[in-house]
Amino acid sequence: MLGKGVVGGGGGTKAPKPSFVSYVRPEEIHTNEKEVTEKEVTLHLLPGEQLLCEASTVLKYVQEDSCQRGIYGKLVCTDFKIAFLGDDESALDNDETQFKNKVIGENDITLHCVDQIYGVFDEKKKPLFGQLKKYPEKLIIHCKDLRVFHFGLRYTKEEEVKRIVSGIIHHTQAPKLLKRLFLFSYATAAQNNTATDPKNHTVMFDTLKDWCWELERTKGNVKYKAVSVNEGYKVSDRLPAYFVVPTPLPEEDVRCFQGRGIPIWCWSCHNGCALLKMSALPKEQDDGLLQIQKSFLDGIYKTVHRPPYEIVKTEDLSSNFLSLQDIQTAYSKFKQLFLIDNSTEFWDTDIKWFSLLESSSWLDIIRRCLKKAIEITECLEAQNMNVLLLEENASDLCCLLSSLVQVMMDPHCRTRVGFQSLVQKEWIMGGHCFLDRCNHLRQSDKEEVPVFLLFLDCVWQLAHQHPPAFDFTETYLTVLSDSLYIPIFSTFFFNSPHQKDTNMGRESQDTQSKPLNLLTVWDWSVQFEPKAQMLLKNPLYVEKPKLDKGQRKGTRFKHQRQLSLPLTQSKSSPKRGFFREETDHLIKNLLGKRISKLINSSDELQDNFREFYESWHSKPTDYHGLLLPHIEGPEIKVWAQRYLRWIPEAQILGGGRVATMSKLLEMMEEVEHLQEKIDERHHSQGALPAEAPSLLRSSARLSSLFPFALLQRHSSKPVLPTSGWKALGDEEDLAKREDEFVDLGDV
Amino acid sequence: MWWGGRGQSFNIAPQKAEPDVGSQPGFPPSLVGEQILAWAPGVRKGLEPELSGTLICTNLRVTFQPCGWQRSQETPLSSEYDFVLVNIGRLEAVSGLSRVQLLRPGSPLKFIPEEILIHGRDFRLLRVAFEAGGLEPQAFQVTSAIVQARAQSSQAQQYAGISLSKAGQSSGSRKPPIPLLETSEDWETERKKQGARGWRVSTVNERFDVATSLPRYFWVPKRTLDSEVRRAFGHFHQGRGPRLSWHHPGGSDLLRCGGFYTASDPNKEHIRAVESMLQAGHSDVVLVDTADELPSLTDVQLAHLKLRALCLPDSSAAEEKWLSALEGTRWLDYVRSCLRKASDISVLVTSRVRSVVLQERGDRDFNGLLSSLVQLLSAPEARTLLGFQSLVQREWVAAGHPFLTRLGVTGASEEAPVFLLFLDCVWQLLHQFPAEFEFSEFFLLALHDSARVPDTLTFLRDTPWERGKQSGQFNSYTQIYTPGYSQPPAGNSVNLQLSVWDWDLRYSSEQILQFHNPGYDPEHCPDSWLPRQQPSFMVPGPPSSVWLFSRGALTPLNQLCPWRDSPSVLAVSSRWLPRPAISSESLADQEWGLPSHWGACPLPPGLLLPGYLGPQIRLWRRCYLRGRPEVQKGLSAPTISGLQDELSHLQELLRRWTPRVSPEDHSKKRDPNTILSQSH
Repeated sequence: MLGKGVVGGGGGTKAPKPSFVSYVRPEEIHTNEKEVTEKEVTLHLLPGEQLLCEASTVLKYVQEDSCQRGIYGKLVCTDFKIAFLGDDESALDNDETQFKNKVIGENDITLHCVDQIYGVFDEKKKPLFGQLKKYPEKLIIHCKDLRVFHFGLRYTKEEEVKRIVSGIIHHTQAPKLLKRLFLFSYATAAQNNTATDPKNHTVMFDTLKDWCWELERTKGNVKYKAVSVNEGYKVSDRLPAYFVVPTPLPEEDVRCFQGRGIPIWCWSCHNGCALLKMSALPKEQDDGLLQIQKSFLDGIYKTVHRPPYEIVKTEDLSSNFLSLQDIQTAYSKFKQLFLIDNSTEFWDTDIKWFSLLESSSWLDIIRRCLKKAIEITECLEAQNMNVLLLEENASDLCCLLSSLVQVMMDPHCRTRVGFQSLVQKEWIMGGHCFLDRCNHLRQSDKEEVPVFLLFLDCVWQLAHQHPPAFDFTETYLTVLSDSLYIPIFSTFFFNSPHQKDTNMGRESQDTQSKPLNLLTVWDWSVQFEPKAQMLLKNPLYVEKPKLDKGQRKGTRFKHQRQLSLPLTQSKSSPKRGFFREETDHLIKNLLGKRISKLINSSDELQDNFREFYESWHSKPTDYHGLLLPHIEGPEIKVWAQRYLRWIPEAQILGGGRVATMSKLLEMMEEVEHLQEKIDERHHSQGALPAEAPSLLRSSARLSSLFPFALLQRHSSKPVLPTSGWKALGDEEDLAKREDEFVDLGDV
Repeated sequence: MWWGGRGQSFNIAPQKAEPDVGSQPGFPPSLVGEQILAWAPGVRKGLEPELSGTLICTNLRVTFQPCGWQRSQETPLSSEYDFVLVNIGRLEAVSGLSRVQLLRPGSPLKFIPEEILIHGRDFRLLRVAFEAGGLEPQAFQVTSAIVQARAQSSQAQQYAGISLSKAGQSSGSRKPPIPLLETSEDWETERKKQGARGWRVSTVNERFDVATSLPRYFWVPKRTLDSEVRRAFGHFHQGRGPRLSWHHPGGSDLLRCGGFYTASDPNKEHIRAVESMLQAGHSDVVLVDTADELPSLTDVQLAHLKLRALCLPDSSAAEEKWLSALEGTRWLDYVRSCLRKASDISVLVTSRVRSVVLQERGDRDFNGLLSSLVQLLSAPEARTLLGFQSLVQREWVAAGHPFLTRLGVTGASEEAPVFLLFLDCVWQLLHQFPAEFEFSEFFLLALHDSARVPDTLTFLRDTPWERGKQSGQFNSYTQIYTPGYSQPPAGNSVNLQLSVWDWDLRYSSEQILQFHNPGYDPEHCPDSWLPRQQPSFMVPGPPSSVWLFSRGALTPLNQLCPWRDSPSVLAVSSRWLPRPAISSESLADQEWGLPSHWGACPLPPGLLLPGYLGPQIRLWRRCYLRGRPEVQKGLSAPTISGLQDELSHLQELLRRWTPRVSPEDHSKKRDPNTILSQSH
């Protein structure tokens, strides 16, 4: 494993641990080892990508080990990424690295993925920004996907150090213009490489047809209509070109306040109740204007309160819920638990793991989001109320909650296509400001809030608690979160559909410049080979049993919870009504406040919530029906795959969930085998069994960090801390060391 | 939902039979000396489905008898409905929504309870609501009876084992399910199985005159004479000298012993005997200071108490403070340090051929824990159902772990659930390596719950001597004076062979089926072990290197024994002195490991290295949170067992669609007996 460029390889390569091992500093070894062969690796440039600066003889430290070991190579900075070239790429071509990202290599960091840059000056770590007077001997890069890179610059020419450090700092930290995003150079250069099916059946919601389709799917078309009043963004540039409003709402009302104060449809429940959202009206001082606003809103509310609409419950997210500031603070504390510079640091914090985790309050924020989503679900499902989410711009927590509610209530959103369509509908068309929230343009750190990541984490909690309910895996969620920072996909690089359209040349009348064709992130083939894509699909997912049409219609509205598992058919308890009838019974059952620890106040709303929550969890789960998360203290977990994947100490060889998965795949095969048999007997079309990821089946001992741990394998560090035996076991060595520790107290 | 409901250990729906017509509790006391003190009709709450039945208090246990449910002859004790009196951790009587009284011995019941809550020390919870709102006097009677019976049982000085009146007879003189290691043949068979060719079974303690806490037989180096053994053992704390725990197929030996008895003044002969037994013929000897970096017994006890308080259904920890409260118990921290140490030691044993000696002052607590964990980590054999049970029998039961004292059955002050800590460690391993263990989480739960069930002597005695005495198995030549012990009743001798491993005493065959981990990967079966070439065993002469393993690092020692005047045993040099080990919390930085040619992958076959980082150590929720209704309910954890249910459901679906498919080829119904009584 030790490549030629590795410094200090071999047996005695251990960290310069004070006072125990006589260690050799790398520079000393370096001087001995004159032929530091630098493996020339060609830099792969994407279409339109330009090399900006480079530096050679950079030492990339093996991160996990606080020792001074590493690999020499070249550090380059392009207008797309920072890349380290030094690893022998051919080693990557074995079977185990099939989960390679085709766009971003192991040693690549896209400029947008850089979180913090530190320099080490005389063993002291300082954050780097702006113009530097002095150049560091070591560069530490913290990435937004939580990787940490250490680059030693001690043997690099001074000129090159200056160029590369200031280059990296400038290109990752200086505010950028939207037009200068790599997205555009890539799209211009790669004009012809459009994939055949870029969207993977994802509904993009950029046409009227898409909205009508969604209305029809959710049976919302009875009370709601899709409107094209904002075509060409004539009314508002915050709203998408097409959206859905209550049928009786006149189009003038939409124009009145540029689309503000209008209930916009998100989703319809099977009982006809709808989830709506509304951006707040502008704050006015003038009494007259306020009066106008009031009467306008009165009119709106009258429209939606009247039958056939149900009562509307308003959830004001900007006042009674999390603030964006809370989320930002929590996440920046939380991520520090994982952005560690070396093992020692990790071990130091490990003792207080739980309390550190708790003090970040990230898990508590997740809990509050899930709880709010359950409350909304309760209103829609049990109380037959419409829910109107109200927020300043209806583009942050609104997106989060409305999509979370849909994931919980609509099984379609738990399929991959459905989930992608949901993100497209609520986040992309909903105008979530990805550009600002991810701080892609480095314009304001204050605006950088990981709302979308919070959403993914909430979904992960759900998927973790109910694995068979989701078509996609946690790996899917992880790579989706990584894709936020890859600027070849347009999906997460605009603040609104309006911004995207105006910048893509769709609006321009200039005929000779063809509108740019941007890639969407949903085209997973851009990033992964088909084999690797198999890892995004959850083998546990139980597809909905295909009932014939008539049957389905009957069950749909009665909300009968289909029993999914045989063991849970508790026949002894007669089926009662789902909510109301059971209320009394439940109250009797609950011992005082004992079970109500979840709830702080005991007003009626909270009681309803508790009953709903308790009652759902006391029933068998239908993976194709309503799905609620557990939100008690022990149930909210750390998304280990995303946050711990780069920490080698967190790896369990041959263990973890992967071990379960491989067993599972065997079972799946068995089922498929059965299915085939049945198909044969029926002489029907032999449905091809879905190919289970062979990656999992091949090797017996995978790491628990699979598939990400593979990328770590090239580090020269063995799984066990090495070097002890050589150093300790060797008598000569011992004798030598003994001389350093002559104890005068020898009797 | 895969798990039956709250508080249940198993996902088998409780047997619900037709309601019985007769109102008398059809409860035949199946234990010798058991008397019914009081009973009252009631409804068991909290679990789905609610069951109506009878709450019965006897002088030995509190039990709930569902209507019409007959205790089968084979399983006279129910794992589901029985609460042995010593297991009752807390009693609460409830009336209305607000009146709750904590029932303590001696305090009178203030009202007629509508409901009684029995919190087990094993984290189970039994909630029974009395019929007619508790207005019947029976509710009052049974509650008072429970309080009283519990008080009396905890006052008992020596807890006498209960024996089964019927089960023993029905099973007759059958073979124990696993070797109980009470005969020298058992030890010899086990020695051969391990391939420990340099060892022999010593009979020096056959009459328990070397040490009462030691088993009658144990393994010592082949060329050591029994007289030498006797001599050497005298210089160890409580006579617990070095014995073989496990022979690694690669050649290393794992030994355990008590602390050196420093007050003794051994002569050279004796020291040489001690040294050669520690060295066990290897040129490389590592002494492991067991207590180092592990919690003390008091720590373990305190942590367990805190954990129990935290896991109570109404514990005061707020949701958002749950994690720090959990951390505050330090239980997981102790689990972690045990795993870490065991992982270190298994590397020591695996990485080269040597003698590794676990040394703990008493040699009855953490030595057993570590040696069992090391074997679980390095020997695939120990991860099978049979192997694990033999392991516990050997390293805990036979080795004299003071179960009775440690589990607090006697009410003695030295209570510390080290064994439960061990089970938690095993659960962590099971959780981390779901495909490597033949037994399931349910098996661990069953073992956990069995620790306090007084049906067999396995966990009810502190030493093998007491255990043997009680079951009357001593041969006629036994000449130990046993004061204060009345002869066991004649009927008792039938349960001579009964042990905790006779699972069918307490568990139904359906439950026993679930002891088997469906995710156990046959590829990892014991056969896959490839022993490395055995070096020439029994190197004559003194060891060439002696190390002390402490604080995660190896330090050279200049002599094995602490006594003054003891000659240095080192062949190479006597210049070396014990050096203070470097102090570092970080094991990863330590200076030891495997030969570098092993590289990143693969590990030697069969060796598991557990994760022991904060994020990797989990709370055993299915055990500790059983009493918290809101946590267990509807928990669809992704365990293989659940998946198999899902699979069988899918198969069911398939069958329904195509009735012609014959079900026989995929319904792998296992016979519980074959699981537990495979040839050994």
